[in-house]
Amino acid sequence: MSHWIKWTAPAAALVSVTSAAHAVQYLSVAQAQKLAFPSATGFVEVEAGRLWKAQAGGKAIGLFVFDRVIGKHLFIDYTVALGPGGQVHRVDILQYRESYGGEVRQASWLAQFVGKTGASPLEVDRDIRNISGATLSSHHVTEGVKKILGLYGHGAR
Amino acid sequence: MASPERACAREYRPAATPAPITRRKAATLAAASRRHARAMLLASASLLAVGAAQAGDNAASSPAPATVSNEALLKKLDAMERRIKMLEGQLRQKKAAAPAAASDQRAAASARPTGPYAEAAAPVTAPATAPAASPAAAPSAPAAPPNHAILGVADSPIAGLTIGAYGEFFFGAQQNPAAGGQWQNGFDARRMVLLPTYQITDNIIFNAEIEFEHAGSGFDNDDKLHGTAEIEQMWIDFKIVDQFNWRAPGIDLVPIGWTNQHHEPTQFYSVLRPELYNGLIPSTWKVPGTSVYGTITDGLKYQVMVSASNEDFGDSFDNRTDAKTVPAPGTAYFPGIDGLNALSFSNPPLGDFEQLTNSMAVSGRLDFSPAFWPGFAGSVSAYFSPNITPRGAHDDFGNFLGHTSLTVLDGEFRYRVPNTGLELKGEYVQTIFGNPANLRANNDSDATDNVGKTMWGTSGEIAYHVPLGTILNSTWEAVPFYRYTIENLQTAGFTGTDLNAPTGAGQLQFHNIGLAVFPSPKLVLKATYQKVINRDPAGANSDSILGGVGFFF
Repeated sequence: MSHWIKWTAPAAALVSVTSAAHAVQYLSVAQAQKLAFPSATGFVEVEAGRLWKAQAGGKAIGLFVFDRVIGKHLFIDYTVALGPGGQVHRVDILQYRESYGGEVRQASWLAQFVGKTGASPLEVDRDIRNISGATLSSHHVTEGVKKILGLYGHGAR
Repeated sequence: MASPERACAREYRPAATPAPITRRKAATLAAASRRHARAMLLASASLLAVGAAQAGDNAASSPAPATVSNEALLKKLDAMERRIKMLEGQLRQKKAAAPAAASDQRAAASARPTGPYAEAAAPVTAPATAPAASPAAAPSAPAAPPNHAILGVADSPIAGLTIGAYGEFFFGAQQNPAAGGQWQNGFDARRMVLLPTYQITDNIIFNAEIEFEHAGSGFDNDDKLHGTAEIEQMWIDFKIVDQFNWRAPGIDLVPIGWTNQHHEPTQFYSVLRPELYNGLIPSTWKVPGTSVYGTITDGLKYQVMVSASNEDFGDSFDNRTDAKTVPAPGTAYFPGIDGLNALSFSNPPLGDFEQLTNSMAVSGRLDFSPAFWPGFAGSVSAYFSPNITPRGAHDDFGNFLGHTSLTVLDGEFRYRVPNTGLELKGEYVQTIFGNPANLRANNDSDATDNVGKTMWGTSGEIAYHVPLGTILNSTWEAVPFYRYTIENLQTAGFTGTDLNAPTGAGQLQFHNIGLAVFPSPKLVLKATYQKVINRDPAGANSDSILGGVGFFF
């Protein structure tokens, strides 16, 4: 028993100190908006908590969408920024809750979505790489981006 | 848990009368048996061919990209905005008329301080110059996608609770080494696993695997069952920061190799699990343990675990004494590690303080998927226990056995060549025993199961992904594959009181060739032919032609 205490007590102490101060939310919506459209002067909320219009100098420079998909069991919070032509400008993972499959947060994997349009296949193993060990998460994020392009990817119909 | 794939190679012998493991006799395969095997193969092939008649492509046809000017975009957005405001007004009116009970329910939901199920009101406008929101302040929830959290078919009655599942069925023909290699047809509901997950908060998450093997257990003669019901995993994760998270003490999988932690049937192509995980890595290698894990940098992750040690005791649970020792000298017992089954029978007990050693093991892994090498992923991992000798361990002459350490090393890679269907995998495993003279297998009066200083195995696999198009409303994929595995469980360096007369049964080669068809990433239909070769003059007599159905959702 003393072995358990010896090994787990420091970790428990660390948890108690740090868990109140940090949450594993990698980005807030506002932070993701700023990353996606650094030149924007404002974001007009078009659909509560879900869809914003990015503006600069009184002109729309793109759309910003917040959405969730289920990874393996839990939600993945992600955002998709669309350019004026409806193409994907940037994708960010705001929160990943599960213990396995977090590789979908990798910048190199998310970068594959940039430039995709409603006409893109957006299929894992076709134009998006599968992630070994994060198969369901990579499929579901890809499906989510495809869904968003289907809804908003036509240059705001 | 004993590896069922390898368990058939071991025959029961009473603890009091140790005897060499019965060797398989020469096999003369009857022509009728071969015909049965061919029939099963054809049945498997016909199963995998299902869906040839396509039900039509229901996927939404993707429109061509629209080229719209900013002005046109603005106008359309304004129109959409007006329409949304009108709809929101209608929705508010509808909500006002809703029954009070529904309002109470929403209020209770919004009272949750954090978590994906909290429905906090969002500001109407979020200026770009606003300071970054606190990470703890969850964004307002969008219209959530359908959350069929209970086995994918029903909504969860409790926010944060989901129940997933995976499982697999096997059928086909296999040689029975205990019957001289006779081909025998059969079926196995190999496992059904329920996966409850409960998100206590955004940072504290409960996970478990509740497994039923071989259709579960039963005690009456008419039950026809001798399976198991067991807790395969049960732990609570404290998600602290990306770089450091803590998995509280529980039942968890040793972080070694790839398949041990990713053993769902959709994660590999053969019907049976890869051979390296049937002994050298005693999958499913689950232990009482606690670990920390996190991301070091993009594409590089780690996990370090402290766990109860494996133990060199492979006999019946009833043969553990009340003193938490092996049977007293004079009573023989099965080893946990031997030259025919590797580490298959050495996993520590998971319950009731029944462990036979105070030793704690340390294991760890590094996972890498470098951004500069798209499609490539791999890992290196290791396990070390300073002592796996159980309390009271002895040879067959009444002498007690001293300590020996156990080290397991693993390196593996997976490479999906970008823009092609080609996939390559490779793995190497080695075990090292600090003092093999103290292993029970070298002191059990069985000259054939002795263990040397090391064991090793390596495998290579090639697969090709072939899209089959949309069938029955989903995108199908076929993956033909071939895997070669070679293992040597009885290398040089033998020491101990036994005579040393290995038959060659511990020097193995496996050829696997087959086809896996994925109607979706959550479902796989498999067919595999496996040829097993060893250096035993009697032969391995363990070939098989199996079909399988696996799912994971």
